Amino acid sequence: MPELRIVLAGAEERDLTKLAAYREAGGFEALATARQQEPQQLLDALLASGLRGRGGAGFPTGRKASFIPKPDQTPKPIYLVVNADESEPGTFKDREIMYSVPHRLLEGCLITAHAIQSQNVFIYIRGEYLHEFEVLRAALDEVRGAGLLGGVTVVLHRGAGAYICGEETALLESLEGERGQPRSKPPFPAISGLYASPSLINNVETIATVPQIVAMGAEEYAKIGVENSAGTRVFSLSGNVVNGGNYELPQGTTLRELIYDVGGGIPGGRELKAIIPGGSSVPVLTADQVDTPLDFDSMAEVGSMLGSGAVIVIDDRCCMVQLGLRVAQFYMHESCGKCTPCREGTRWMVQILHGIEDGTAGQGDLDLLLDVCDRILGKCLCPLGDAAAMPVASYVDRFREEFQAHLDHGCPMRGESSLDGIFAPVDQHSHDPVADAITT
Amino acid sequence: MSSAPQPETVTLTIDGRAVEVPKGTGLVETAAFAGVEIPVFCYEPRLGPPVGACRMCLVEVEGIPKLQAGCTLTAQDGMVVRTAQTSAKAAEGQNATLEFILVNHPLDCPVCDKGGECPLQDLTFRWGPGASRMTFPKRTLEKPIPLSPAIALDRERCILCYRCTRFSENVSGDGQLVARNRGALSLITTFEDEPYSGPFTGNVTELCPVGALLPTQYRFEARPWEIQNVPTVCGLCPVGCNISVTTREGKAKRVLSRNHPEIDQGWLCDKGRFAFGHVAAEDRIREPLERVRRRGFAPLSWDAALERAEALIRGAEGRIVTALSGSETVEQAYALGKLLRAGAGAHSAVLPEATSTALDAFRAPLSTIGAAELVVVLGDEAVTDRAPIVDLWITQARRNGATVERVAGGKPPRSLTERLRASERAVLVWSGRGGGGGDRLAELAHALGFEGKPGCGAFHLPATPNARGVADAWAAAAEGTEQDPEPVSLLIVSGDEAAADPAVRAMAERAEHVLAITMYHGLAVGWSDLVLPGTSYLERDGSYVNLEGRVQRLRRATIPPVPDELAWLSQLAGRFGVEVSPHAAVVFAELSERLYEGLAYGEVGERAPLPLRTPYAAPVPATTQPVPPPPAPPGEHFLGNLRLQRYRPLFSGPAVERTPELQFQRPPAEVELAAEDADRRQIGSGDAVSVRSNGTAVELRARISRALAPGTARIAEEHAGELHLEVEVVKA
Repeated sequence: MPELRIVLAGAEERDLTKLAAYREAGGFEALATARQQEPQQLLDALLASGLRGRGGAGFPTGRKASFIPKPDQTPKPIYLVVNADESEPGTFKDREIMYSVPHRLLEGCLITAHAIQSQNVFIYIRGEYLHEFEVLRAALDEVRGAGLLGGVTVVLHRGAGAYICGEETALLESLEGERGQPRSKPPFPAISGLYASPSLINNVETIATVPQIVAMGAEEYAKIGVENSAGTRVFSLSGNVVNGGNYELPQGTTLRELIYDVGGGIPGGRELKAIIPGGSSVPVLTADQVDTPLDFDSMAEVGSMLGSGAVIVIDDRCCMVQLGLRVAQFYMHESCGKCTPCREGTRWMVQILHGIEDGTAGQGDLDLLLDVCDRILGKCLCPLGDAAAMPVASYVDRFREEFQAHLDHGCPMRGESSLDGIFAPVDQHSHDPVADAITT
Repeated sequence: MSSAPQPETVTLTIDGRAVEVPKGTGLVETAAFAGVEIPVFCYEPRLGPPVGACRMCLVEVEGIPKLQAGCTLTAQDGMVVRTAQTSAKAAEGQNATLEFILVNHPLDCPVCDKGGECPLQDLTFRWGPGASRMTFPKRTLEKPIPLSPAIALDRERCILCYRCTRFSENVSGDGQLVARNRGALSLITTFEDEPYSGPFTGNVTELCPVGALLPTQYRFEARPWEIQNVPTVCGLCPVGCNISVTTREGKAKRVLSRNHPEIDQGWLCDKGRFAFGHVAAEDRIREPLERVRRRGFAPLSWDAALERAEALIRGAEGRIVTALSGSETVEQAYALGKLLRAGAGAHSAVLPEATSTALDAFRAPLSTIGAAELVVVLGDEAVTDRAPIVDLWITQARRNGATVERVAGGKPPRSLTERLRASERAVLVWSGRGGGGGDRLAELAHALGFEGKPGCGAFHLPATPNARGVADAWAAAAEGTEQDPEPVSLLIVSGDEAAADPAVRAMAERAEHVLAITMYHGLAVGWSDLVLPGTSYLERDGSYVNLEGRVQRLRRATIPPVPDELAWLSQLAGRFGVEVSPHAAVVFAELSERLYEGLAYGEVGERAPLPLRTPYAAPVPATTQPVPPPPAPPGEHFLGNLRLQRYRPLFSGPAVERTPELQFQRPPAEVELAAEDADRRQIGSGDAVSVRSNGTAVELRARISRALAPGTARIAEEHAGELHLEVEVVKA
């Protein structure tokens, strides 16, 4: 399966971070086209393209944009907010988009702003993405200098290192200068978002796709991919795989094609054990599900999700309990502390998983762990709690024997297990003196 | 008044019961209306929009797959809601929330002061798991830590409902309480661990649904089954917040709000909440005292004291002046008036301050301020210093989008006058001296046409808690007109506020004799011939009239160490052939005929109603008042004198002085100066300065205030000493 570069088109051949190069490659023609069109025409095109959000939830982009009131329906300004706070473990596509095709993202911003008749764009970029920020800032300066903004204000805002700020309402809070914690919905951001004004919030990849939809036409775009999953995805392939990296492929490509044909398979002749198909927060797949196509419906059918398109390959050295522990530690560390189940539940999950891995757990602890996950699931203020509970519950569910073996005889792989390249360890609270006062 | 349009209603089903409520009603309230409890921790409508944080209120809503936080929903037509009563899923959700809350909550209920009156205990009892599945070490933290000298914070018990931080951000607006860290390590704290200070901090102890925020005064003081809560009214300012005094074995242990939605909305200031300990102060006078040659003062029996009082009154032959405090109950002032006026023909009184009946034409509940779109504050004193809760109402109005304008002096500029006249929801607040006790304000409100507008109001903030009630009661006590009492033979000082008044002290110097009714040694004892012990508002039955004109009922919460004033006034009156009942209810019945259209004592009730507006009667026009000297002309080298502005800060007075937990809130010894006045004297903020006038000098620290008018030096009463009106400020 060859790559199909749409979002990343042209970036392999030449340096598109310069405005001149981007324009030579046809950049900003779509913007000119779009500005000739009525906003409604653009909204219709977004709907017709079948584009769905690339941030993780997969909500149809055209529909989301259609929820935004028209300027004559609201006395408030309308905001476009680009979520560039890419923080899901395993996901690194947005950063590549930002540093290789920053102008495409900006062009997408301006087209989308035109579509929703907004004059104000905020790009909230993950604080650790300094290089990407600088590339984007330089690109913005160029675009501004070239007079392409057309009266639209684009603000780049750097985050301060919190995963939760990738959740759209926490992002808005943070953007407003408040503590980064999610808001209760309703009201939804489309009605009352940034500064209590109508706001459209989209992922970087989603927005960077928009110019290409305008350029090629919505119908053409809709033909790419499979039903309900139009277009391409920039898959972040990582883990125990020969050629990790970002690969833009049509949706519907199978995991096998991505891992083996594009990614070169698993190094060292080891066996495939499991696959995380959409970032750390989604349920795990087993090796025998490797032929599942990477699209929304197929992933839902096998009980997982396409999420952010981060495919993490796990080979047979990996202990699933250790994996679960590391995932749970991440979400415990990133839980904002606002709602009870996530704040308390993630910590409890970590304690139980520690016990299972250390061999101090009792026979009932697996069921307890599942029950804790179940008591978090669907009861939290925002999806973060689910993001911790879903994967861990799936590890127990799909690798129950391995968990049971831990209870019976301790970790079968202790010492042999490797999480290398799967998830980095969570460096917990080493920066916070308060942590010293707290006994975990 | 135009008849309000019928509100649009919606009909929905909760646990199978159909219920009809106005559109927009919160689901928690809707359920309560249907007789169904949706349990909550974080939900508190007074704190702003719901946050949905604690997840205690999870309910099932037909058509939505996930459980919903009931507190964040409003009633919709046709909605079908199932709470934990009928939905196993919702019950499971609530049980889960409680299990999670308890995972790290310490099991120190037996020694927790909240135990027995704790929402977490109650909800766990009803909806929670009976056993813990948590086998790991709980999160432990140093506890308790002082959030301030008045509030202890137990961070282990905290369930992070964010009520306290929302109060600090949305209600008091001080923004001092914040959450620090993330996730399970989140802690409630102040910036850099500064003490939580301000007029309203204590409210967080009442908002806290667990034993995390406790008044230090109440720690380990009582168990809920040992206490009694006495419903009464705070007597420390003219707002008259409705309070419950928690007592154990007859002693006051804490003060809680009793939430009168028109007066205080359930908020109290820290003075009203924490200063109750003044009744048990060590320097309290517990028996009558008489001046004895050479020995100073000696106690005497009550019989002897009344004998002596009778002799003083009789000996004065009507040349008596009574200085009232404005903190007496209506009944007490009436009894005093009846005794002295009917019994001794002594009609002269020094009232604590002027009052106005003209304002009754604009009577409105204080809640009118919260709903206003335009609030104009006149006068030069801080609202918080005079009537703190009024400031919260103004804050609420501002948060709801109202414009709040501050006008120094008594006359708003023309542009503002026009806006006031045009508005249906405009409020005037007079916070300062002068103004004829509200007469000038009434004239202004009348000129603006406020009579016909129920959404408009005019509030004069008196300096004393019951000035209006005292003045009216004194006037109603007997017939007869005042005759020149000079030369004064007997000065009767009724209460500590009167004793602290420099004018009263000056009169004492020329009076032949002084009879003082006072609570503490030190204030009036030195210059009195006879001292009768006074009591506190916490120790009396009776009534107060607050700044709205609302008659409210005081109940004796604690037993005073001495008979209350009404008891001995009754006996003393008997000696003059005047009948005064020792029972407040009886006295009230008598005076109510004359003052309150026969309102029955029982009808005042626990939640007093506000009397209707009366027709406007123009007050006596202002006589020419002494014009204060103009501020020194600004000149480059001329350093002229400054006009001294004394003020009584909220945290001052005898009750505050006797409350250790409030000492940190008392005003620092400083003088506020306008920037240009300070610059001209080369004084910087924090510099030591000497403030002088006519041979007196006070050493203070300078503070530069941007709000202060040039030509003024502002000093708290307790630091201003004997300074005169004009002062010189020089760098020390």
